[in-house]
Amino acid sequence: MSYSVTDPSPLSRWIAGVTVVLYAMITLLPLLWIIATGFKSPEDSIAYPPKVIFEPSLEGYVNLFTTRTRISEEEQATPPPAETWYERIAREQGQSIAGPSRYGERFVNSVIIGFGSTFLCMVLGTAAAYAFSRFRVPLRDDLMFFILSTRMMPPIAVAIPIFLMFRQLGLNDTHLGMILLYTAVNLSLSVWLLKGFIDEIPVEYEEAALIDGYTRFQAFTKVVLPQAATGIASTAIFCLIFAWNEYAFAVLLTSGTAQTAPPFIPTIIGVGGKDWPAVAAGATIFLVPVMVFTILLRKHLLRGITFGAVRK
Amino acid sequence: MSEILKAFLRLRRGPWEMLASILIAVGVVMLMQPFFLALYTWSFIVILVGTVMFLIVSHFPE
Amino acid sequence: MVKSTITRAAHATPEPVAARVRGLSDRAIAWIFVAPTLFLLLAVNIFPLIWTIRLSFTNYRVNRPNRDIEWIGLRNYERILTDADVWQTMQATAHFLIWTIVLQVLIGFALAWLINSKFRSSNFWTTVIVLPMMLSPAVVGNFWTFLYQPQIGLFNHAVAFFTGVDPASFSMIGDVHLAPWAIVIADTWMWTPFVMLICLAGLRSIPASIYEAAECDRASKWRQFWTITVPMVLPFLMLAVLFRGIENFKMFDLVVQLTGGGPGNTTTLTSIDLKREAFERWRTGYASAYAVILFVTVFGLASIYVKALNKVKER
Repeated sequence: MSYSVTDPSPLSRWIAGVTVVLYAMITLLPLLWIIATGFKSPEDSIAYPPKVIFEPSLEGYVNLFTTRTRISEEEQATPPPAETWYERIAREQGQSIAGPSRYGERFVNSVIIGFGSTFLCMVLGTAAAYAFSRFRVPLRDDLMFFILSTRMMPPIAVAIPIFLMFRQLGLNDTHLGMILLYTAVNLSLSVWLLKGFIDEIPVEYEEAALIDGYTRFQAFTKVVLPQAATGIASTAIFCLIFAWNEYAFAVLLTSGTAQTAPPFIPTIIGVGGKDWPAVAAGATIFLVPVMVFTILLRKHLLRGITFGAVRK
Repeated sequence: MSEILKAFLRLRRGPWEMLASILIAVGVVMLMQPFFLALYTWSFIVILVGTVMFLIVSHFPE
Repeated sequence: MVKSTITRAAHATPEPVAARVRGLSDRAIAWIFVAPTLFLLLAVNIFPLIWTIRLSFTNYRVNRPNRDIEWIGLRNYERILTDADVWQTMQATAHFLIWTIVLQVLIGFALAWLINSKFRSSNFWTTVIVLPMMLSPAVVGNFWTFLYQPQIGLFNHAVAFFTGVDPASFSMIGDVHLAPWAIVIADTWMWTPFVMLICLAGLRSIPASIYEAAECDRASKWRQFWTITVPMVLPFLMLAVLFRGIENFKMFDLVVQLTGGGPGNTTTLTSIDLKREAFERWRTGYASAYAVILFVTVFGLASIYVKALNKVKER
């Protein structure tokens, strides 16, 4: 690289670096605090002043995944032997484990609905994006705008008729209903993003394939799809993150069998007051996968948040 | 002044879209301002007109 | 040069003939590819939307299915648009909207500008800063209630550390005056990276040659900032502001978990009020009219947003 008059001086660069790192530290603090609180004992979590250094404990995680009953005084004198490590942790609080909590189920629901809707969304979205990118679809701009505008709609406003419709169809509180709903919401993002990615693949490749005797459909599956793989993967992660994080529809349309984790985590309460370590543990398990995905996505983040309009 | 009028009469997208955008923006400000209830009452009509106008004029030629 | 030969050959093949040979015509494939998407969107978005508009002219209530549905014309709209309480929620939303945008634009732009000086490991720190944006707003909101606890909360202790106020003396989410700021702070923490990323893209789209030319003309750094940097980044900034504006106009998840709309009605944003009308008081017809008002507003803003989007795309 050649020297340029417009490059910032080393000193100003250093100041910029320090300021940004400082901001990053501050912004990271609440996240680290969530993770740390998950490993505190309930007493440490509500200590005044807050404890920065504490003895790590898995109580929060045990409380998150189990329901417990209090052991009576006599039982405590002659306890039956604790068989597992989590049983032992519960014993130390004077409780015995009665069974699993519903967090596991809710987490699995999030996984099923997240992956289900992402898969469906990618199948429909890739096809539609290809058509919009390559063919002269009538009213293309209007359709693209219509597709995007569906995402802008306030979820609560959409939820009123969806609630009535799902009730008629028996889709309330079902996995299928939520998968269809999230697919519909995410389609806009996937069509817009994928259209951008497919636009970047030179048409010549397909034309070459067509001359080689491929049908249009074969050209699409054998030439375009492999070329768009990175784009499809990053779009899929965006859809997955959205479905994973969604709260408004989930809280209004699900209550039991199909409830996902976001509406469930805030309802975790302990004995006599909020069990913050359990909440934090639940949040940690829920948030960490998204953080990992965000790091994987870092190159495509900008595209994702602007529906593919800003590339670099 | 007549220049601006002519621009509108030519039924081109640019100026009309701008007008519709301004209407929507004014409507939103009316909707959320804390000063006059009457402005709030009429805000929806303004937004509606702006939005419908935007839908129509975005089909005018460039 | 192989490619161009192929292209020429492809163009030489007459379309209709080629299509018949290839099986399905392009037109058929286009429709087959687009139809499922459109169908799903029609079923899950447009059909319910039309239903909402219909309901908005009635006095329907979900919890009283046996009552006759009466057409009451525009009365629902009339009631909402003259109701000072609904107006109040709009003002609460406006406070939230304006301050989040102001703070996020200021901090986001400053950060982008600093990051753009390309210090060592700036990419790594950008990724770190971006993390909050991708998390679940409801879970984040829930956890911020913990950070805002008067005695035990990290936030109160941080404030105490810098200002010397007793951390137990104020409650961000319990106080009528502080609660509107509590949601602004949490949202700013979460969404500043969004504005930052878009501003950064704007800054990076400015070719260095413009600055070099300005340098040759001996324009001061200050002048360069206002005559080159700001105008060039402005379309990007517009995009970020519009998008955050739309998102925060319909804000629900973060705030409902953080304050639940309280204390009193101080943080009852429009979406939270709508949720109460629709799913707690079950005034379905009334809530539908409410929803239509929000729909139209968001739709209008979205049209402007798409216009801004296309403008940026041309760059």
